[in-house]
Amino acid sequence: MLKRKMIKNFSWPLKTATREIEITRLYPEVMMELPDAERGIHELDATICIGCGTCARVCPNSCIEMVHFKFGSPLKNKKMQFPQIDYGRCMFCGLCVDDCPVECLKMGKKVTMAGWEREDIVKRPDFLATKRFTANEVADLEAEAKRIAAEKAAAKKAAAGKEGASKKPAKEGAAAPKKKEAAPAAAKPKEGGAA
Amino acid sequence: MTNANDVLSSIQSAFPGAVLDSKVESERRLWATIDSKKILDVCKHLTSKLNFDHYSGAAGVDWIARKEMEVVEIMASHGAHQVVAMLKVKTSRENPSVKSLTGLYWNANWYEREIWEMLGINFEGHPELYPLLLSDELVGVWPWRKDYKGYPDLTTGERAVQITTPEGYTEYHIPPTPAEVEAGTVVVERPKYPSFREREEREIKSDAEMIMHLGPQHAMVPGPFLLDVLVEGERVRKAFLDVGYIHKGIEKIMENRTWLQGITYTDRMCYVASLSNNECYCGAVEKILGLEVPLRAQYIRVILEELSRIQSHLIGTGEFLTLIAGVGYAPWQYMIIDREQIISLIESVTGARLTHTFVRFGGVRNDLPEGFADKCRKVLPYMKSRTEEFIELFEQDPIYHKRMDGVGIIRPDDAKRMGVSGPPLRATGVAYDMRKEDPILVYPELDFKVTTGTKGDSADRIDVRLREMLESIHIIEQCLDKIPEGPIKTDVKVPKKVPVGEAYYRVEDPRGEMGMYVISDGGDKPYRVKVRGPFYATFQTLTPLLEGVYIADAVAIAGSMDGCPSEADR
Repeated sequence: MLKRKMIKNFSWPLKTATREIEITRLYPEVMMELPDAERGIHELDATICIGCGTCARVCPNSCIEMVHFKFGSPLKNKKMQFPQIDYGRCMFCGLCVDDCPVECLKMGKKVTMAGWEREDIVKRPDFLATKRFTANEVADLEAEAKRIAAEKAAAKKAAAGKEGASKKPAKEGAAAPKKKEAAPAAAKPKEGGAA
Repeated sequence: MTNANDVLSSIQSAFPGAVLDSKVESERRLWATIDSKKILDVCKHLTSKLNFDHYSGAAGVDWIARKEMEVVEIMASHGAHQVVAMLKVKTSRENPSVKSLTGLYWNANWYEREIWEMLGINFEGHPELYPLLLSDELVGVWPWRKDYKGYPDLTTGERAVQITTPEGYTEYHIPPTPAEVEAGTVVVERPKYPSFREREEREIKSDAEMIMHLGPQHAMVPGPFLLDVLVEGERVRKAFLDVGYIHKGIEKIMENRTWLQGITYTDRMCYVASLSNNECYCGAVEKILGLEVPLRAQYIRVILEELSRIQSHLIGTGEFLTLIAGVGYAPWQYMIIDREQIISLIESVTGARLTHTFVRFGGVRNDLPEGFADKCRKVLPYMKSRTEEFIELFEQDPIYHKRMDGVGIIRPDDAKRMGVSGPPLRATGVAYDMRKEDPILVYPELDFKVTTGTKGDSADRIDVRLREMLESIHIIEQCLDKIPEGPIKTDVKVPKKVPVGEAYYRVEDPRGEMGMYVISDGGDKPYRVKVRGPFYATFQTLTPLLEGVYIADAVAIAGSMDGCPSEADR
């Protein structure tokens, strides 16, 4: 009898270890309803973010860092930097939300953020961006960006050519850097596409 | 009625040449620079002739560019008139020293000690110039001076050297490096004073006495502070208070943050009263900026601050009950359940439960959500009936009255002299409320009474708090009826840099008179922020109040003050 019980006791964890079972129960069983004004985890609209870094500058605890993130709009900002938030330091004051010039950063109703490691609490834009361009849209936008950049470069070339024709010796120094600027602008979307 | 001009002319006629510089900001604010030799006489004159019987606090300012330091004495009156006199005393920066006011005002003690340990201004004639908030290692570096370079990081422990003391204990000592000594970040010569333990043990007179520690970590205390009582049998003969266990240096931090970022730090001083702290800071800055707050925003602020007062009083009363009878006293849990409703009301507007960061310069962050008034009108009558029930419960309970009546009595004169404010003062019968004395926002248009007690004991303090909640409910109901439509922020763009100026602004915190003294030097950061917290003043009175009571009553008295050491330490 005792033996059978012991075997049962040992077999239970072995059985349940492989299956997903309820270990911790939520209490109260239904989570309380949060108001619309709730200041929870941030939600980033990556489609309209301009990557200005105002949120990073206004943050009293400097927990926001601007990092690279590929699902933004290549039309708007070529460097494509987006906020990454260290929730270990964030005190949910909401100053970043207030100061956002395009209102792309909001605070949502999500409040749980438990993780297994310390790095889990630093949320990258991949996690924060609730709204973002899909890969296809990014490709389209990049193509358009490339086209616009090419047009611009052509226009500049033409303008530079004209200027160069009219005032060759005087403006040569000024025209050369312009060409240099135009070349990386055309090349940059390529880099983004590769990444 | 006395106004600021009368006060100024009275000082000038009594002491010709004593007022070096003066400014009458409004009827209620007087700024005057007083000759440092005559400050004692001027204060005596103010107290005896002009009814300035409330020494509200003192602030130290380091003017590094002018090579001088300043001590600002804040003087007010308990209801005789509404003038706040800000008397400045200047001293040189090389060897700063001013006359102490402890001989005139008992409660100047702590304020002057704080200024001494933070800025290094010596107070001539101060009886016990010992550090109050800082630990012994930091005394002597004068951390609030503008040229303070920061203390070296000793937290890693790599530099620690192990020493064995003669008694056989192991201690760690961190020797300063030559570079640090040269930079002036470590203390080379420490001012000499007896330590807290030595001061305590000096008082032991016979073998029948012993010292009992209540705290820093104790079930009784709402935050960490050390209350040592020297007991003889069951009686407390003398009490010693050591504070500064959660000194966060918020005033110094705010000097290094922009004006807007400072709001977030005022929340953290006392999280149960964070909206009043927000209001106090923003109000002071608005005064410097000369901003007008739209009417709707003013009403929203009043509604939320009163809601915040209700929840603060609920938790204060509830905590008190756990102190006097363990956790067995039932209303604690009912109070917490009721408080939950108030908190969710506030949360639905501000988006946070305790640290709101809600008030902005010239307005508020959010408008009231849809259906807030209806929700409020549902909760408030319920709260009212509950509060009346609590009051009745306390009145009827004979055990409670046997336990609490006559415990920790403060007489009105003593309360005024000791600078107590808020419910502990009003329980003695002095109707002193910032909402009436120094009205802000739309308080003058609202109808409410200042609740007062009669006896001034612990039971009265609780009673005053509970009845104050009824007044708060009454205020909110009026606001909900009166609140107009309109913008919630000023049309004027709030500049990043605040023009040169200074302001002192007072609000009625749940715990009493909260004042902030803000100085701007025209930059994007405050030059100096001085917080005159309400519990700091009440805290100071604990030591004389506990003399001669039973040990069990010590806890009850400390609890009935509704303490918040976090706000006292800042």
